[in-house]
Amino acid sequence: MEKDRAESILKKALGFSKADEMEAFIGGGTYSLTRFANNVIHQNVNEQRYQLSVRSVYGKKTGRAVTNKFSDADIESVVRTSEAVARAQQEIPELLPVPEAQDYVEVDAFDTETASFSPDARAEAVKSAVDLCKKNGLEAAGYFSSGFGSLGPYGEVAPLAVANSRGLFAYHCGTEASFSITSIGENSSGWGEASSWRVSDIDVAKVASNAVEKAKLSSNPKPIEPGKYSVILEPAAVAELLSYMAWVGFGALQVQEGRSFMSGKIGQQVFGPGIHIYDHVYHDLLRGRPFDFEGMAVKKVPIAEKGILKGPVHDRATAAKEGGRSTGHGLPVPNTLGPQSASVVLEVEDGVPFEKLMSSIERGILVTRFWYVNVVDPMKVILTGMTRDGTFLVENGKVTTGIRNFRFNESVVGLLNKVEAMSVPVRSGVCVVPGVVAREFNFSSATEF
Amino acid sequence: MKDLALLAIDTAKAQGASYADVRVVESKLENIGTKNGKVGAYETLEDLGFGVRVIAGGSWGFASSDDMSKESVETIAAEAVKTALASSKLKEKELVLAPVDAHVAQWRTSYKIDPFTVSLEDKLSLLFKVDGLLRKVKGLAIAECSMGFLREKQLFASTEGSLIEQELVHSGAGMVAFAVGAGDVQRRSFPSSEGHYASGGYEIVEGLGLIENAERVAEEAVALLSVDECPSGKKDIILDGSQLCLQIHESVGHPSELDRVLGTEANYAGTSYLKLKEQGKLQLGSEFVTIVADSTLPGGLATVGFDDEGVPAQKWNLVDKGLFVGYLTSREVASVCGDTQSRGCMRADGWNRIPLVRMTNIGLAPGTWDLDDLIADTKDGILMLTNRSWSIDQMRYNFQFSTEIGWEIKGGKKGRMLKNPNYQEISTGFWNSCDAVCNESHWFQWGIINCGKGQPGQVARMSHGAAPARFRQVNVGVAK
Repeated sequence: MEKDRAESILKKALGFSKADEMEAFIGGGTYSLTRFANNVIHQNVNEQRYQLSVRSVYGKKTGRAVTNKFSDADIESVVRTSEAVARAQQEIPELLPVPEAQDYVEVDAFDTETASFSPDARAEAVKSAVDLCKKNGLEAAGYFSSGFGSLGPYGEVAPLAVANSRGLFAYHCGTEASFSITSIGENSSGWGEASSWRVSDIDVAKVASNAVEKAKLSSNPKPIEPGKYSVILEPAAVAELLSYMAWVGFGALQVQEGRSFMSGKIGQQVFGPGIHIYDHVYHDLLRGRPFDFEGMAVKKVPIAEKGILKGPVHDRATAAKEGGRSTGHGLPVPNTLGPQSASVVLEVEDGVPFEKLMSSIERGILVTRFWYVNVVDPMKVILTGMTRDGTFLVENGKVTTGIRNFRFNESVVGLLNKVEAMSVPVRSGVCVVPGVVAREFNFSSATEF
Repeated sequence: MKDLALLAIDTAKAQGASYADVRVVESKLENIGTKNGKVGAYETLEDLGFGVRVIAGGSWGFASSDDMSKESVETIAAEAVKTALASSKLKEKELVLAPVDAHVAQWRTSYKIDPFTVSLEDKLSLLFKVDGLLRKVKGLAIAECSMGFLREKQLFASTEGSLIEQELVHSGAGMVAFAVGAGDVQRRSFPSSEGHYASGGYEIVEGLGLIENAERVAEEAVALLSVDECPSGKKDIILDGSQLCLQIHESVGHPSELDRVLGTEANYAGTSYLKLKEQGKLQLGSEFVTIVADSTLPGGLATVGFDDEGVPAQKWNLVDKGLFVGYLTSREVASVCGDTQSRGCMRADGWNRIPLVRMTNIGLAPGTWDLDDLIADTKDGILMLTNRSWSIDQMRYNFQFSTEIGWEIKGGKKGRMLKNPNYQEISTGFWNSCDAVCNESHWFQWGIINCGKGQPGQVARMSHGAAPARFRQVNVGVAK
């Protein structure tokens, strides 16, 4: 949806308002995905959709209503529904007035080629990857997606444009493309993924050939005993762990409620001195939305520098409790979750090329990615999960064999105290992270493949 | 709507589709949350759109939109065909669908009280009453209560002559109590960790016993801060129904989805240990383990008249006295496992998603034990209740679950409370270690509202009926 159309709809909604205050956002876009498995395309989908979310305020009462219908009558109807809901609600004593107009960083993240990338173009790219797998006697499964707007991978709708009755207006429309492949052999698999706001950044041949190489290298995987091993975690594995840590611990409400590993520890050395973690939506590899659900401008937030905890991300409510300012990480008001970190960046001072990471490993395990990670203990950030799609034994600096997959139970806080080397950060999902070498990683049990 | 639906399939046919179906889906959703005596979250959503699925050039294509104009319907139907033709550049064989009769039918969830006719004031009043009871307990840090309602009206039409209208209504509620200590957070929830949801109306919320259980739930959360950790080692465990719900879901339900057995989820959700050669041969569990799939079961979250391919709801066994016998199938994959017709498991997450093979209601058939007798029969064990954390490998062998609370069993008696209980095993070994399942009086259909699968991601709902069951010599206390 173009900026003018979004603004016009939001103004129309504001014009219908009879409440003390109102804020509204439009979210949505176009999302297309070509999915393949067993060397054929088995799903090829396209959706386009938008939602209008309206929040009305009467004093300290507030109510929200959402619609995907955009006629004048439907817009008026959703405004009236939000007003009726607000009147029927109970007061929230701490409810803040809607924010004033903000200044935003301009983020250039719209690529016309990505926005119009066709099913034919995706099919061609997929075919080249599948052909490579076939040539190597492997089967391919994966997807190629492209689109624009603010639809999440599960169809979640984030704001494309926000406006309120105090004159705030924000708009950001970015593009996004993603390619992922699993190469599958008789008893092994290899995986790779690349995402960017610009489809031309995605090197399908490179991602596919890495996946093929991993599948071949890990054929006939050997069972080895679970236990504590040195690990070389590829960036995708690191991103998975840090995403969970951010989810359970980087939000200010979690800290204020005493439910975060950061609670009571801000200013303390919690990680090793080489660890610098930021929430940084403006990182050149991410180029995300520069405002949150309330329209507050997003800031780059230091979570930890030199291993010392600096602080969590805030929304307006958590910031108000501490007399500070929002960092632009708010969800729709009201909510029970509090602010959420969404763009985790682990900065590295002297990162080496990933290939060099394992040179110093006498005996360790190389992990391509983790799967089905979940939280065992939020205060220590103990996570469990499985390795998947390329797990290898490294001996004397070289991969010697593929091994069967492990389950791990490991504290991410502990892990970030055992880091011995890191590579140059790359994008993985919505994180920018390095590959990491760490000692004594706890693989607690093995599986059958 | 019928006219637009028929226009979509006519357009797809005219554009070269050999098969087309269209789903028009109109949803209404209300979610309410309270937290520590205040409104925590509120959303009401109305959503309408359509999705057109076609076979053209022997491959699938799908397109969808929320623009319900005639022009949009024609454009989207043509886009679906164009997408299918792009897919056909990479195919190995023509798609063949198992036959289904053309159905012209209407079906709706039966309920007593339309949840959308109950006032917000009444709903909040109940939640705040529960919230107050939770927070009355000294030492409780956070009380969260929630309620949610869904009405989904579906219209399905296909080029094979089906025209099906369905109306699904789901309702549910729940509570979570958090206690925060020095470096420790403990939680207790009710009726299960995500509340309880079922097919039906507001009567479901009224029948949950939220008020009756609130103080106990809060007291247990606080008590957990000061009790011992679950010990490590091999123990007999008794799982309550709500934990078994997720155990069934993850270690039998997902592996039975024939599409993932055939590799279509290999890049994401994964594959399965239930290979085709295992059907009718693998002793997945002990003789006490019979697992039934049933999309006709009243109250189930996956209970429908027809699936999203127009296939009627059915009941069949996945596991019969421990023997793995059946899969969850669609029209595309049914013949692969020797079935002549689909089991009717195709469901889509709204109008903008293509149907996938999804779990229907899958339950562990009740056994003969009374829970008190089962505890009395256990010498050295742990009773584990209410899921807290879950993880399983991509082929569904190695799993690890944590529950919110455990109770030690020594010499047939329920003893001290334990915190952070967890267990880890391999699926087949675990189900074969089951030596007792409680009887029908303990059996309850637990709802799941957040089952993820597919790319782009889809969320589905289903129920898993279970009564408490015992498993011998399981690895416990494993997250160390």
